Amino acid sequence: MADVKKSVPIAGIQVESLVVMKIVKHCSSTFPSAATGCLVGMDQNGVLEVTNCFPFPSVEAGTDSHQNDAANTAASAPRAKSNLTYQNEMIRQLKEVNVDANNVGWYTSATMGNFVNMNFIENQYMYQKDNDKAITLVHDVSRSSQGALSLRAFQLTPLFMSTYKEGKFSTESLRSNKLTHKEIIKELPINLHSSHLITSFLHGLSGPPDVSEVDMPVSVEEIERNAPPVPLNPSIDGLELSIDPFLEKTCDLLLDSIESHYTELNNHQYYQRQLAREQTKISTWQTKRKSENAQRAAAKQPLLPEDEWQRLFKLPQEPSRLEGMLNATQVDQYSKQVDNFTASISAKMFAVRGTLLYE
Amino acid sequence: MARGPEGFIHMSRPLAPTPMMHSNIAPLNVKIQPQAVMSILDAKSRHLGPSRAIGALIGVRSEDGGEVTVTQTFAIPHTETEDQVEVDVDYQKQVLAMTLKASPREHLLGWYTTSAELNSFSALIQNFFASPETGTHPHPAVHLTLETTPGQTPKPTCYISSHVAVSAERAAETCFFIEVPCRVSTNETDRAGLDMISSGINDESRTAPVVSDVQSLRRTLESQIDMLTRVGEYVGGVLDEEEEPNHALGQYLMNALSLAPKVDPADIERDFNNHIQDVLMVSYLANTIRTQIDLSQKLAVAVLGNDKDAEGKTEGSNEKGPQRGGGGKRGRGGRGGGGGNREPREPREPQD
Repeated sequence: MADVKKSVPIAGIQVESLVVMKIVKHCSSTFPSAATGCLVGMDQNGVLEVTNCFPFPSVEAGTDSHQNDAANTAASAPRAKSNLTYQNEMIRQLKEVNVDANNVGWYTSATMGNFVNMNFIENQYMYQKDNDKAITLVHDVSRSSQGALSLRAFQLTPLFMSTYKEGKFSTESLRSNKLTHKEIIKELPINLHSSHLITSFLHGLSGPPDVSEVDMPVSVEEIERNAPPVPLNPSIDGLELSIDPFLEKTCDLLLDSIESHYTELNNHQYYQRQLAREQTKISTWQTKRKSENAQRAAAKQPLLPEDEWQRLFKLPQEPSRLEGMLNATQVDQYSKQVDNFTASISAKMFAVRGTLLYE
Repeated sequence: MARGPEGFIHMSRPLAPTPMMHSNIAPLNVKIQPQAVMSILDAKSRHLGPSRAIGALIGVRSEDGGEVTVTQTFAIPHTETEDQVEVDVDYQKQVLAMTLKASPREHLLGWYTTSAELNSFSALIQNFFASPETGTHPHPAVHLTLETTPGQTPKPTCYISSHVAVSAERAAETCFFIEVPCRVSTNETDRAGLDMISSGINDESRTAPVVSDVQSLRRTLESQIDMLTRVGEYVGGVLDEEEEPNHALGQYLMNALSLAPKVDPADIERDFNNHIQDVLMVSYLANTIRTQIDLSQKLAVAVLGNDKDAEGKTEGSNEKGPQRGGGGKRGRGGRGGGGGNREPREPREPQD
């Protein structure tokens, strides 16, 4: 593991509001299929500043026949060769207009937190192996539509990076590396930042009324016509009371996870059975050879070699445990998400009950 | 939410000198999405030199061409001096092609600049963007100006243009700008993002952390309570004859109050209980499943006492064999075949 890069941890991530809005727009316009794009910015004194971004073209011009699935194309877009050239070209062009022209990672959209999968890992690995500060921004479209923006930053842990590099996810290697599913990805805190001009623009978008003394309205129509802009923050969308769709979706996703858990499980059982069968065969063979040798020894004949079984029998390959670990990570994410949801929705529900039953 | 400019007189737009255009004289409306404005402002702050920054507007045009929505922009390097202007046309072409590749449903709509001034260079560039080869022809090119003087709120203004036939030689550098109505439009999905980024605008450092659902709920509730208190104070003031009563406001408040549904308390109680149980149930299940899978992941790599030898020997150890990898263990538990010592498996079964 000498070749593992010295990882200097990022002190924080600062995302420009421009990037937030561009990601929100791109992800929601392609919803429900996935959207991916590239982040550019710079690393300044340990703070990773994400200052601009651009989407990847998701429609491949029919080059890969096995990538018919549109969602899959978008999800694997960051790794596609044509996109790599696109990305480099775009960054070169952005440099012309003084944008910080360093690739600092990529962003992806998610639905209800279901972003932990092989595509995610492969993409992030690709970025992170070149630049150990590269991050993934995950924007959860369906959660953001419930009011609060869901934007999270992730990185692969150095331990996972080295294990993934070796490509070994057998029981033995996991045991010796002490890698568990909790140590695949780590979440990093995000700060949002706006430039002076944008701050000024935002103030204009939703400021309090300019005049401190307002004339009294004459009619209800007048109030309705001159309604002041709804303040952007805190937004009242956060009070949305939709429970069932969320629960339904979560249950669906959990069921999917259980499903894939079982698939993994069956793979392993199959492997175990194969292994046991082969080993039984080997031991039978060994016993046989031993008794044969004993007879030969008794008859003063030359002994037969006892390690021939390595040639004769082949032990099955242990299936990779990576998928199972990712699944576990995913379930972890779901349950955290449900916890968050429970916390806020029960507060809202008690509030509703309190209001309606107020005596 | 941003109010459109009131009091616009919609006149038919000037006709481009083409016979095809006669069907398309409807007034033009421009909508600008917030991220487009932000990217213009970003381009301005990254622009070196005293002159304005310019760039292209990309977006969607409605079917009849009567409304355009600006969704994104990109900056174009250019140099401007007293008597000449140079725009990097190659750059514009390349970036346009690349941008459209990523968003195939969008088109070039026009261009922007970051000063409110219209001058003869504006006309020159406008004609470039409106021309049939390099621009938006037969649709009119939209010119957006965004005032970025420090201390003023950036406010976009949009124009379209027509040729002014002064003389044939000067046609390229003259044109007649007509202001068209435009507004910054935000939709549902933008709202969440805007909410989050504007939580930091009153802060000195202009930064804000991304907060969790509960925290943002708390902030919302606090502001609601604040507003209710203010209304309550006003109403109290009127009752105490300290404030001037106002019929319109009173009626408005009554209307708002009458929106509260009249539901039977028993119904509320029942619905409330049902829903809270659903929520808690799903939360419980999710956490149980997580614990199960956690456990199985742990067992998968755990070194169990007697497994090493048990595993390689004979068929007789079948019962024991699968114990080793953990894979087998999970299987047994999951199918309900697990022994009494694996009770936590139970809650998962109804899910299967």
